[in-house]
Amino acid sequence: MTHPRSLGVLLIVLWTSVCLWGTVGWAETVYVQAKTAQLRAGKTSLDAVVGNVKFGESLEVVGREGSWMEVKTSAGARGWIFAGKTSTAKPAGGNDTLARLGQSMRGGDASATTASAGARGLDKASEGYANRTGVSSRDREVVDRMTAYQLPDQEVEEFLREGGLGEYAK
Amino acid sequence: MRNNHGMWTALIALSLTVAGCAEVQRAAEDAARQSGNPRLAGAIHGAGNVVGSLLPIGYEEESSIGQAMALQVVARYGGVVDQPELVRYVNLVGRAVADTSDRPDIPYRVAILDHESINAFAVPAGYIFVTRGLLRQIRNEAELAAVLGHEIAHVSEKHILDVIQRSKRLAGVTEAGLSYATSNPAAFKGVIDGAVKKLLDEGLDQEKETDADMVGEVFAARVGYDAGAYVGLLMRLRDLKGDDRALFKTHPNFSARIDAVQKTIRTKHLATSGVVLQERFSRMTKRV
Repeated sequence: MTHPRSLGVLLIVLWTSVCLWGTVGWAETVYVQAKTAQLRAGKTSLDAVVGNVKFGESLEVVGREGSWMEVKTSAGARGWIFAGKTSTAKPAGGNDTLARLGQSMRGGDASATTASAGARGLDKASEGYANRTGVSSRDREVVDRMTAYQLPDQEVEEFLREGGLGEYAK
Repeated sequence: MRNNHGMWTALIALSLTVAGCAEVQRAAEDAARQSGNPRLAGAIHGAGNVVGSLLPIGYEEESSIGQAMALQVVARYGGVVDQPELVRYVNLVGRAVADTSDRPDIPYRVAILDHESINAFAVPAGYIFVTRGLLRQIRNEAELAAVLGHEIAHVSEKHILDVIQRSKRLAGVTEAGLSYATSNPAAFKGVIDGAVKKLLDEGLDQEKETDADMVGEVFAARVGYDAGAYVGLLMRLRDLKGDDRALFKTHPNFSARIDAVQKTIRTKHLATSGVVLQERFSRMTKRV
C-alpha cells in the first residue's frame, strides 16, 4: 500500500514536471530575418531603441500585438521587434554551411576573389573574363561602380520612415 | 594488398573530405605523393573535387560569376543610365525589399540599363538590372518594389547558380570552384557565356520565373508595399504587349503570371492595403 505522503510528493513532482514541460514546449522561437533589426521599448517605431539583433539570431517570443512581437534574446535582453523582420524558420542566408563546405573542398582560390561586399574593382576571375571577351573599359567601369555602390543603413532607414514602410507603417 | 591499403586510404580521405576537412584531404594527397604513389594522390584529389563540385557554389565564386555576367549584360544593353539621384532611388527601393528578403546578408545593387526594351534581369551575387523602357511603364513605387522583388527572388533562390552548376558539370569542370577561373579561363568563359545565353536569349525555366513572381511578391509585401500593385503592372503590360506566348520566350505569358500572383496574394494572405507611394515615385523618376 502506498503511503499517502509519498503519493502527495509524487503528485507534486508530476505537476511540476507537467508545468515545466508546458513552459518549454510552448516557448515559440523566431529568427531575425533582416539585415538589421532593432529591439524597441514599445510596440511602435517611435519607441526608444533598446538593443540591436543580428541576422539569423534566435529570439524567444514573449508576446504579440498587431505587427509587433515582444521577444527575449538568448542573452536575456527584452524588447519589441517588427514581426516582418522575423521568420519562424532559421534563415540559411547567403553563405550557408553547405556552400562554405563546397568552397573549401573545391579549394576556393581566395586570391581569385578580392571583392568583398562593397569593395571596388573587378576580381581576378572577372577581369580575366573581360580581357578574353573584349569588354570595353566603359562597361568595366560600370560594373566596377556597381560593385562599389553602397547605401548607408541610416539612409535606408530614413527612406523607410519617409515612406511609412516596414516598422514605420502607419 | 597494396591496392587494398590504397583503397582504404582513399576512402578515409574521401570521408574526411565529406566531413569538410579539406586540409586533411590535402595532407593525405601530399603523403601519398611523398610515399611514391602519385596515382593514389590523384585519386584523393579527384574524389575531393567530384564531391566538392556536387555541393552548392560558395559566395566568393558566386561573386566572380555575378561580376562576369554583369559585364556581359551591360555590354549587350549598351551601358547604363548615369543619373545619380535616380540610381540612388531605385537602389533604396531595392534595399528596402532585399533587407527583409530571404537572403538579406549579401549586397544588392541596381542599375538602369539605357535601353528602350521592357525587361529586368538579375545575375548572381545581387547584381540587378532594370531597363529604362520598363521604368517608363511603372506607375508607382509598389510596382517597382514588386519588379525588384522578382529579381531579388532570382538571387535569393539561386536560380542562375542552378544553371551554372549544371553547365559546369556538362563542361566537365569538376576542378576547384574558383581556381578553374584562373587556371582554366576557357572553361570559365564557357560557363559564363552559357549562363548569359540562358538568361538573355533563351530564358530561365518558366517554373523559375513563376517562382520568382510568387516569392518576390511576398518580399515586397513583407516590407509593406501593396500586394495588388504587381497585378496592375502585369495587366498593363499584357494590354501593351499582348499575350502571345511565342513573343515571351523568357517568361510565362502574362495571364498565367497574373493568375499565379493573385493566388499567392490569396494563399499567403498578403495585404492589398499596403503603401503605393505614387507621388514619391513620380517625383524621383520624372527624368527617366
